[in-house]
Amino acid sequence: MSTVASALKQVGSSVPRSDARAKLGGQALYGPDINLPGMLHAKLLRSPRAHARVVSIDASAARAMPGVRAVLTRDDIPAHVVPFYGYYIKDQPMVALDTVRYIGDIVCAVVAESETVAVQALQVIKVVYAGLPVAASIEAALADDFPALFETAPAGIVPPYGAGASAALRPRKNVCYEFAYQTGSADAFARCDHVFEDEFRFSRMTHYHLEPFVSVAHARAGQIEVWASCQNPFPLRKEIARMFKRPENRVTVHVPYIGGGFGSKNNVKTEAVSVMLSLMTGQPVRLCLTMEESFLTNTQHAAILRLQTGVMADGTLVARDSEILLDAGAYSDASPLVAEKAGYRVPGPYRWSHINSRCACVMTNTAPAGPFRGFGGTQASWASESQLDMIARRLGIDPYQMRKHNLLKLGEPFMPGESGVDSDMQAGLDIVCEAIGYHGRQRGGAGPKKRGIGLAIGFKDGGGVNKPAQARVKMTTNGDVFLHCGTVEIGQGAHTTLAQLVAEVLGTRTERVSFAKINTDFTPFDQGTNASSAVAVMGRAVMRAAEALKRQILEFAALEMNAPVGELTLDDAVIVRGVQRQPLMPLVMRHFGGTGYEFSADGYFKPPLDHHAPLEAQCVFWEIGWGAVEVEVDTETGKLDILKLVASGDTGRSLNPLVCKGQEDGAAVMGLGQTLFERMIYDDAGRLLNGDPLTYRVPLAEDLPRDFITITQEQGHGPGPFGSKGAGEATILPIASAVANAVHDAIGVRITELPITPVKILEALQRAQA
Amino acid sequence: MSEAAALDGYPLQCHVNGQLLRRDVPIERTLADLLHDDLGLTGTKLGCSRGVCGACVTLVDGAPVASCSTFAFQVNGCAVLSIEGLASGDGSLGVIQQAFVARSAFQCGYCTAGMVLLTKALLDRDADPSHDTIVEWISSNVCRCTGYVLIIEAVQEAARVLRAGSAA
Repeated sequence: MSTVASALKQVGSSVPRSDARAKLGGQALYGPDINLPGMLHAKLLRSPRAHARVVSIDASAARAMPGVRAVLTRDDIPAHVVPFYGYYIKDQPMVALDTVRYIGDIVCAVVAESETVAVQALQVIKVVYAGLPVAASIEAALADDFPALFETAPAGIVPPYGAGASAALRPRKNVCYEFAYQTGSADAFARCDHVFEDEFRFSRMTHYHLEPFVSVAHARAGQIEVWASCQNPFPLRKEIARMFKRPENRVTVHVPYIGGGFGSKNNVKTEAVSVMLSLMTGQPVRLCLTMEESFLTNTQHAAILRLQTGVMADGTLVARDSEILLDAGAYSDASPLVAEKAGYRVPGPYRWSHINSRCACVMTNTAPAGPFRGFGGTQASWASESQLDMIARRLGIDPYQMRKHNLLKLGEPFMPGESGVDSDMQAGLDIVCEAIGYHGRQRGGAGPKKRGIGLAIGFKDGGGVNKPAQARVKMTTNGDVFLHCGTVEIGQGAHTTLAQLVAEVLGTRTERVSFAKINTDFTPFDQGTNASSAVAVMGRAVMRAAEALKRQILEFAALEMNAPVGELTLDDAVIVRGVQRQPLMPLVMRHFGGTGYEFSADGYFKPPLDHHAPLEAQCVFWEIGWGAVEVEVDTETGKLDILKLVASGDTGRSLNPLVCKGQEDGAAVMGLGQTLFERMIYDDAGRLLNGDPLTYRVPLAEDLPRDFITITQEQGHGPGPFGSKGAGEATILPIASAVANAVHDAIGVRITELPITPVKILEALQRAQA
Repeated sequence: MSEAAALDGYPLQCHVNGQLLRRDVPIERTLADLLHDDLGLTGTKLGCSRGVCGACVTLVDGAPVASCSTFAFQVNGCAVLSIEGLASGDGSLGVIQQAFVARSAFQCGYCTAGMVLLTKALLDRDADPSHDTIVEWISSNVCRCTGYVLIIEAVQEAARVLRAGSAA
């Protein structure tokens, strides 16, 4: 690897990000900056009721208000329009039809000449509701005497699964989807020395992306154009075409810069309403939400996780039966997909004889939950890594040794039919243990303040499932390069790292590679920017496109120079043959004349379909996050201090080390927020008590532990270009469980519910003393 | 000025990025909307619109303010600096911006203008801020992407470069 590494010029170097100048100069255009001639502004009337029948809507006063151009209620949806959207299950209407299902559900929309007028018009719309029973939690929705939230089944599908995996729509009341995975025989429990049952609770975060949800839609001359803050432009195109009964080539999605998403900027959010209002008015319509509305639009999944785990006395893991209940909120959104992943990942990175895992999406009268960084892996890792630690302590085994004893080895399949893990997890664990000083640590303490260290290994399959990738690379006569692909720049730096790959192959500088603006008419099709797939999946298509382009150019030059192609190499648009350096441009001009030519080549990659793999395709790469935390707990006040936080991921190879560090820092700090204080608080009536930017607390710089380090490992086993893997989700995964394990190490009590607050610590101490 | 005229439009006079601005603005117009919508200075980003997140920070007479929560009329007679005003005449980035590029101290870029302007205000007051001072200042803004470490390093680097420049 070192010989390859030393030859690399662009890859592995922290070249400045290609979006640096636009973003630092304030020139980068985001969704809220889009301003079209004649653009109107929309605002939404949201339900004040958590669950109610919509008896009547009187929008006549709003329609009559000067400056109001249209009002969209359930009665204004044309008969040919399908009002529902969603992923596997199409259950969310663009505006409420007969029922509102959570506080914040969209009831109707006003479009006016200004946002101010639109807001004023909302205030004169009269809606009569008839209350229905409210389930604001998983337990409430599953209670025997609580009615079904959806009386009839929305349209939905179950995708094909491979060996051991299955799923069902509406398997029981108020569960919209349940995923199950099984391997081995339940008889394995019978030979275990111990079987432990524990329950864990996971609170929900809001994504808190600073750029709001926003879209601008313009329907004219049979074409629908949308500028959307969306990480999945092609799925959005498909959904809009389906809802509005348009051919897909009559829908165009543009993606400007995106001000953060962390999973939320997926599928339809504001776009159905902005498109519908543009169709109604014939003018461009901007719908830009507030941050308070972001809280109501998409969230992480709260969860209850029950793990029954059978082990041998020496700590060998044998069998696990797990039940995960995800709070899906009022609409299914991506919940079924999150359930697949949470259910599949809950065994963690260990060797088992038997797994029986079920994960159900429970409908409640709260904001819809959807994709969130970690995507079910965060919930699964919280429970799995907490319980492993608890079992180790019950058996009198050091938690480090227990992990070491059970960890999958490099190359060992996660489950039968799966790909082998592509990180040496023991090596990674040793790295964080050394950084925190785990071995020979001082525990407890004489006074009321006690110290302890906790470890955890977060785990998820990365790269998406069976995901195709296409890319196109072009070189102009002058040697300037375009990269076209559907990977959205949402902050992660993918446009830079993918350009580095192109520059490396073509022997040019990254700054000469321009990432073409994303427009679904021109950009090669892509399923979306998600699952840390940009490098490990799209990166391979980009490499193939760049290599094909290089071949094409060299073959052209070979003919023009009357030289064997094998003797030629490409160096920044110069053809090199031994000591001869022949610029490409004169060759192009001589052959093509006029304004010259543009070389263009495509690349494609897709993991193979594989019915023996549980999810129908083997996992592309394994995203592992190691965490080690030293805490000090004040047993008198419950105050928890994070003395040191070490988080580590394995990028395989960092295409851009500073970009990778930024991902690992950011994910770890998001995990820290989840651990210590971030939580959307709902009361029993379905009211969100902290749904605003001030009372919902996110980490600030002052919340960083004094000693906070991230360590980016480059183990070199990844399937992506130059041994790379994906990055960006690993280090959110282990933080919460590592902190809980550290608290246990310090004071001997276990916190099983997030966030880990002083109150919970004091209560746990009091329970332990009682 | 009659009361009606005052309600209709406030005769604002201020400097924005060194340019004199004279225009009547509605009294409820925010500084953020004046910059972003009226003047096309879209580098000023609206995040929470509640004066919490700091994405919209601009400098008014050198002091950082949340432009979403400041009325345009409040900057009458003041010098307003937005992110667009930090670049040199030839459009090249200034020292603080370059430090943010060098340390990759941004991701989505939505908080970046606010962070950079906050840094300018800090370094104008304290050319050699301690780590704790930097953290204290940066903690008035939210960055959801970076985890702050690289931002803190960028501020330190900018301070070093600026000190070296003023010593030369």
